[in-house]
Amino acid sequence: MEHSLFFWSVMGWMVVWGAIGGTVTRHAYFMRDLDVTDARRVGVAVGAATGPFGLIPLYFKTPKLTRLWKVAPWFGVLGLFVLAFALSDPGNVCVSSGSFLTSQIANGLIMGTIYGLMALGLALIFSIIGIVSFSHGEFYMIGGMVVYYVTAVLLPGWNPLLAVLMACALTFCVGALFERAFLTPIYDGRVERPIEYSILVTFGLAFFLQYLVQGLGGANPVKADAFIELPRWRWPADGSVIVTSRANITLFDTIFVSTPRLMAAVVSILALAALIWFLFRTWWGKALRAVAQDRQAAAVTGIDPRIMNMLAFGLGCMLAGLAGAVLVQAFSWLPQTGTIPALRSFVIIVLGGLGSLPGAFVGGILMGMIEAAGAGCIPDPTRAASYLPAYGMVVLTLVLLLKPTGLFGRKA
Amino acid sequence: MTITLEANDIRKKFGGLQVLKGLSFRIEGPELVGLIGPNGAGKTTLTNVLDGAIKPDSGIVRLNGQRIDPLAPYEVARAGLGRTFQVTRAFRRMSVLENLYVPAMAMGRARSPRDCHDQAMEILEFLTIDHLRNEYGRALSGGQQKLLELGRLLVLNPDVYILDEPFAGVHPTLMATIYKWIQRVNGQGKAIILISHQMESIFTLCSRLLVLNYGDLIADGVPSVVKNDPAVIEAYLGHDEDMSGTGMVSLKEDSHA
Amino acid sequence: MIRSLPNALGALGVAFLLGFPLLYAGGNYDYVMHLWITAFFYAILASSWALLAGYGGQFSFGHMAFMALGAYSAGLLDNYVVLSSHATGTCTEIGLFGSWLVLVDPTGVSTSAVNCLQQARGVWPEGVTTSRLPLLLSILIGAGVGGGFGWLIGTLVLRLRAAYLALFTVGFSEILRAAISAEVWLTRGQAGLPMSPIFPEGVTIFGTFYASNAKLPVYYVMLGLFLLTLVILISLARSRIGLFLRALREDEDAAEALGVDTVKYKRTVFVVTAMIAATAGVVQGHYVGIITPNTLILLQMALVIAMAVIGGLENVVAAAVGAIIISFGLEFLRNDFIIFGERVDMSTWRLVFFGLLLMLTLRFLRNGVIHGGLLWLERRAVGAETVAKRRATPKSGTEEAK
Repeated sequence: MEHSLFFWSVMGWMVVWGAIGGTVTRHAYFMRDLDVTDARRVGVAVGAATGPFGLIPLYFKTPKLTRLWKVAPWFGVLGLFVLAFALSDPGNVCVSSGSFLTSQIANGLIMGTIYGLMALGLALIFSIIGIVSFSHGEFYMIGGMVVYYVTAVLLPGWNPLLAVLMACALTFCVGALFERAFLTPIYDGRVERPIEYSILVTFGLAFFLQYLVQGLGGANPVKADAFIELPRWRWPADGSVIVTSRANITLFDTIFVSTPRLMAAVVSILALAALIWFLFRTWWGKALRAVAQDRQAAAVTGIDPRIMNMLAFGLGCMLAGLAGAVLVQAFSWLPQTGTIPALRSFVIIVLGGLGSLPGAFVGGILMGMIEAAGAGCIPDPTRAASYLPAYGMVVLTLVLLLKPTGLFGRKA
Repeated sequence: MTITLEANDIRKKFGGLQVLKGLSFRIEGPELVGLIGPNGAGKTTLTNVLDGAIKPDSGIVRLNGQRIDPLAPYEVARAGLGRTFQVTRAFRRMSVLENLYVPAMAMGRARSPRDCHDQAMEILEFLTIDHLRNEYGRALSGGQQKLLELGRLLVLNPDVYILDEPFAGVHPTLMATIYKWIQRVNGQGKAIILISHQMESIFTLCSRLLVLNYGDLIADGVPSVVKNDPAVIEAYLGHDEDMSGTGMVSLKEDSHA
Repeated sequence: MIRSLPNALGALGVAFLLGFPLLYAGGNYDYVMHLWITAFFYAILASSWALLAGYGGQFSFGHMAFMALGAYSAGLLDNYVVLSSHATGTCTEIGLFGSWLVLVDPTGVSTSAVNCLQQARGVWPEGVTTSRLPLLLSILIGAGVGGGFGWLIGTLVLRLRAAYLALFTVGFSEILRAAISAEVWLTRGQAGLPMSPIFPEGVTIFGTFYASNAKLPVYYVMLGLFLLTLVILISLARSRIGLFLRALREDEDAAEALGVDTVKYKRTVFVVTAMIAATAGVVQGHYVGIITPNTLILLQMALVIAMAVIGGLENVVAAAVGAIIISFGLEFLRNDFIIFGERVDMSTWRLVFFGLLLMLTLRFLRNGVIHGGLLWLERRAVGAETVAKRRATPKSGTEEAK
């Protein structure tokens, strides 16, 4: 980075004024007997985005904090951040190359869709059973492993989508069986502290599954073939709109997308459509949503909550398995592969508000964009890749400090 | 020195809902005050504000002249305000005796269990649960857990007691013990705020009633006057509360203590 | 009589551990000592985690991160801070009572780069001596760094409920691992940071000289640390702090309403257990001779949790005993064997087995194996006493209420 001192001074300026803004604005609203629910957050954003220039009028005018006030300053913060970055590092490929930037955004969207799908599983489990599963990453890993072993070892030459379906079926069954065998005591008060019990027991499952797979398949990385190989094709003849090669698609000469990832995103979107159809159009899906909204009321109407718990846990694990199954063609796969995606899913559901399904999906897209920005723009590429899990944690810390209910969370 | 608890213009909003709309009252010395109101009137929120668990948006609470609204709950407890919870909150995996040691040691009155064992035993005998002293909190029945909570408050020995629904789900024989407990505390010159839906108990025990409705204090006075207050009757009848069941109507004029 | 059994067993166990290295005459002396040292290391971690999770109800997954913070602090001091009797002239250095505290510039994993100390050595006269900081000082610094981060994490997660706390600490641990792997110039990344032995010049105990790679002195250092940890943890658990921790674990709001400063005690338990873990990390790092970011993988944390849970979460001694037994168990299950002509890689399958054991213990033996056993003994004792009392007094029951 050329002018790193400049960049970090701007960051420092933003943090200091954000902190001042939060305290001062809340104080101002408090003194005038106004609604203080959002005052601190708005103050932080206005302070960080504009420094004293926005804070002083805010302090004296104390306007009613409409939706515009709650959202717009954050875009200011983002803008200032981007501006500071661009000015301090004009040579960065993120700043100088529009093509790279659009490709990163496209990739962020694609990966974000898959992240969202995986996080949706975790959010589904949380919304029905009220626990966070610490074995989510292992189901992701198993999904990928099943597809690899089916396509490369057991049934080579078969349609890979069949393998994806098998991965879904297996992860669903393992999840549902585990729920029956180990999670039932938390519903009827047989354990003193159900949340802690569920954390430890799902963590135990993660440990068990990870080494079970390692014991069965070995610890070496495996990689599945791409589901489809595109024919070489360009249109129009000079390739100014679309050019395909075996592993890449180029749009408008500027956006480069890898085919396996694009395929994964396409399957994810289809799966998502199927999930929405299931949740909103079928009796089982409606029953699930009913249980998520009001357990007791649902039980009164004749929905058996025990079956719903099992279904929810199985479905949640299946979504993780599906995410792994479609991504195994894009990355090499290890028994330990699940740790970082699991962590990412946690961050996403906290970001989206624990238990909110739309929140989980939007959070996933956001997370995809953040990671694409982090991995693409941080000057030292090897370091940028090493810190991949850290981007999510920075976001998590900010969310927990500023809005613990998440972006879309219902008020507790 | 007389015990005083003053609340001055307490306001609290949750999101857009104004739960407390500027409450003011003053409670003194050996007073037994009933705090009543229909569900959602703001009773529990008020308790949490007084206790320090929730910070009010504005307003001042003073205990014996000391401002307590900015304090954390544990500081409020040390300043002299003790409360029970609507749902019993016994420490479930600690013995009954250990439950009583917690406030004694938190207040710094005892350095080790030995220092407060005698006091704890005296209180357990008073509450007639001394035979359960080594049982875990979770082994106690719901009513016994309520008694245990009251016992913890005796150890804490605050100046003002707030009891949130102490009679809910309590067996009649244990009820007598709670009455005895209230008389003992009141006899020491302490103030008690009693929140209950059981109007009979409220009318038997309390010398003064505060009635909350939608965050407003709609009545404050002796029970015989309050229960004929049109605003109070409206608040209850207007929300389909069965007055005959609560004893609001059927009680005789001179029934209060 | 049954009641005093655990105490008697405990005293016997301590006596056994103290005498063991002197009396052991079997084969593989160094290997057996190594097993004990490792077992003590895990016992320290498992018992301190038991205080944090079992007593305080704070299910943190960051315990190994605190351990690694301690180990890396000591490792960095060991590699980059040197006490010298002569000024180097090339490094950053501070004069201290006639000797110099030299800060060596890190050169990462590059083998060709020469650091300032090596340059200085080339031109120094004969007889210049250099040494690392005293072990006790680096233990103090390591514990301080661990405790400092414990305070920070404890403060950040104060208001978080169980699931958030667990997520946050998993994340903290992963970030630390990422940072250590990425900052190769300082930590040497995956290559690992070498560390000098606990007694670099060897040590003489009661007239017997032990070389720097001898196991016996290390055994006593680790055992001493282990026993000290147990003393600290037990006295904490039995003190008012233990009582308050259990109260806030059961019900934070109620504890607060009874005058317990929950914030203070939660933070205290975080800091104390983080310091204990960090200290264990310093000693283990010096003993093993190298510290790598792989000590931070979740497997290690899972092992510590499994040990504490199987031993018994709510009893620090039970957790420690569980850790020692499992640590040995893992070692004995290490040998591969051949079944139906297939070689079974036990280094993996033993972990599968432990994952399953962890789940089954959680599900069916909620108090753990060892703590559960102790509780069972206690119930037997109470039962026996009651029967004896009943026999002694002809009148039953009613009398006892008085």
